[in-house]
Amino acid sequence: MHILATEGLTKRFPTVTALDQLTVTVGTGVTGLVGANGAGKSTLIKILLGLLPASSGTAKVLDLDVATRGADIRRLVGYMPEHECLPPDVSATEFVVHLARMSGLPRTAARERAADVLRHVGLAEERYRSIGGYSTGMKQRVKLAQALVHDPKLIFLDEPTNGLDPRGRDEMLALIRRIGTEFGISVLVTSHLLGELERICDHVIVIDAGRLLRSSAITEFTQATRTVTVEVDEGTEPLAARLTELGQKVSPHGRLLLVEVSGPGTYDAIRDAAVDLDLCLIRLEQGRHRIEDVFREETAHV
Amino acid sequence: MSEIYDIGYRHYDGPRLGGGHATRALAVHSLRAIFGLGRTARSKIMPFALATIMLVPAVVSIAAMALIQQRAMTYSGYAVIMQAIVAIFLASQAPTVVAPDLRFRVLPLYLSRPITVTSYVAAKVAAMTAALFLLLAVPLVLMYAGELLIDLDGPPQTKEFLGALSMSLVLAVLLATFGLALASLTPRRGLGVASVIAVYLLSTASVPIIYSALEMSGYHSAASWAWLMNPFWLVDAVQVWLFDTPSHAEGAYPGGPLPAVIVVALIGVAVAVLAARYRKAASR
Ligand SMILES: Nc1ncnc2c1ncn2[C@@H]1O[C@H](COP(=O)(O)OP(=O)(O)OP(=O)(O)O)[C@@H](O)[C@H]1O
Ligand SMILES: [Mg+2]
Repeated sequence: MHILATEGLTKRFPTVTALDQLTVTVGTGVTGLVGANGAGKSTLIKILLGLLPASSGTAKVLDLDVATRGADIRRLVGYMPEHECLPPDVSATEFVVHLARMSGLPRTAARERAADVLRHVGLAEERYRSIGGYSTGMKQRVKLAQALVHDPKLIFLDEPTNGLDPRGRDEMLALIRRIGTEFGISVLVTSHLLGELERICDHVIVIDAGRLLRSSAITEFTQATRTVTVEVDEGTEPLAARLTELGQKVSPHGRLLLVEVSGPGTYDAIRDAAVDLDLCLIRLEQGRHRIEDVFREETAHV
Repeated sequence: MSEIYDIGYRHYDGPRLGGGHATRALAVHSLRAIFGLGRTARSKIMPFALATIMLVPAVVSIAAMALIQQRAMTYSGYAVIMQAIVAIFLASQAPTVVAPDLRFRVLPLYLSRPITVTSYVAAKVAAMTAALFLLLAVPLVLMYAGELLIDLDGPPQTKEFLGALSMSLVLAVLLATFGLALASLTPRRGLGVASVIAVYLLSTASVPIIYSALEMSGYHSAASWAWLMNPFWLVDAVQVWLFDTPSHAEGAYPGGPLPAVIVVALIGVAVAVLAARYRKAASR
């Protein structure tokens, strides 16, 4: 089942086209939406929530049309905006309980859910204090908690790692992964960093200037790019020639050679070639490249 | 922290009530906030102090009825006489209702739920209206209860009481929509308070200026229109027209339905300003 699907979705603002003929589908699990600043990520989320009308094209969320069924969609999804959205003078508990009620939960259920969800995002005693005194990391957790409090089927997280230090970022990413797996809630999470989403996503959508650049399962991203890096003292070129002769796919990267791993034979070929040419093998490093590199290659081709 | 993380996630399969429920909950929440309920003691001081002052004439009147068998205060004149207190209440509490959600950009969190911009604004207006109505109506009800218990000569002034009660509602709607519109245009709390007070003072100060200007230029009959610049006298003029009560200004009001038309038009303007303000905020 598709949790969301767009067809020729376009959004024009007076001066820019934020989304340009975007056609994409997303399944259950954790999906990353990646793009540079101004790529149109937030605009897409706002259209999917029914908060902004599209200029043309259609979009469905959980099989409901955003243009006509916005109210039903908003009952079933959660939203964590990219900007700050917390009043400083209330406690996290009060705030999350209130928003649970705004999602239609009865009073007692709202209290229970808020307590549960604040615990899940890792806010303990501090949840009784005013939000004004929270660190950025704690505020991001409150923002996440309010998106989860009504137990949505799908949540939109707009740049949840924004402003976090490396440790906070890791914790937030781990939490998002848990939401997608243990909690069984589908996630659409945006970021302008491909690398951080690689670890937690099942599927990645890359957009640029409102256009779809790529949409594929994370396994496709990584499998296609499993390479081994070879570094030799001298004679990089003859080695590359020899490996190509042996039927390997080789691309030079400065003093390094990147060899695509097609099977165990690849390593044998590298060893044999180095021995044959009497080269001094300095480094043989197995490392799939990061999706950043894929992105770079993709954009280079476009 | 790690133990906290170990508790499994539980899904919610209880009832999910609709937008109507959420709107009502928002109105009640905002009404409580106006009186500082569920907030710090500090935020209760202002609303409760003002509400207490509003009760003083009612208490004095009851005492006068009991002791010297005389009415010290009329139902129909209550709002006009106490107008400064009502205006201060509006100025100090209207920003509480609308400013934080705009200033701290909480609005998208509401609008991404089963609440529309319209129901959000409706809930806020309902809360402010209810608060002002309580402020105006509780003393009237208290005074009427006193009158019934004390048993003065002649029948109780039920008609005047009910008239004053219904005009309290009209006044509450007018003040709430205007106060919220002004406060929503100035999302900083302090500015909101200042702008509501400034508009009230201007409207009040303009009355004698316009009045004497018209008098001196010979437009004696038109001078009475000056009273309608101030919302309290404006609504009093409607009361005079509807319930035949005496004027609580220092002269007669222009008669007929025109004051009522002005009240409706002003409420319309204020609602339009609120709608435009929130449509803009929602599209950000
Ligand atoms: N309300 C608006 N009015 C006019 N232009 C807008 C509006 N909202 C967004 N835009 C423009 O649309 C484009 C896409 O914006 P959007 O916020 O969707 O990008 P984004 O991918 O979320 O970027 P970021 O990583 O900076 O959050 C940008 O050029 C932005 O300036
Ligand atoms: Mg964005």
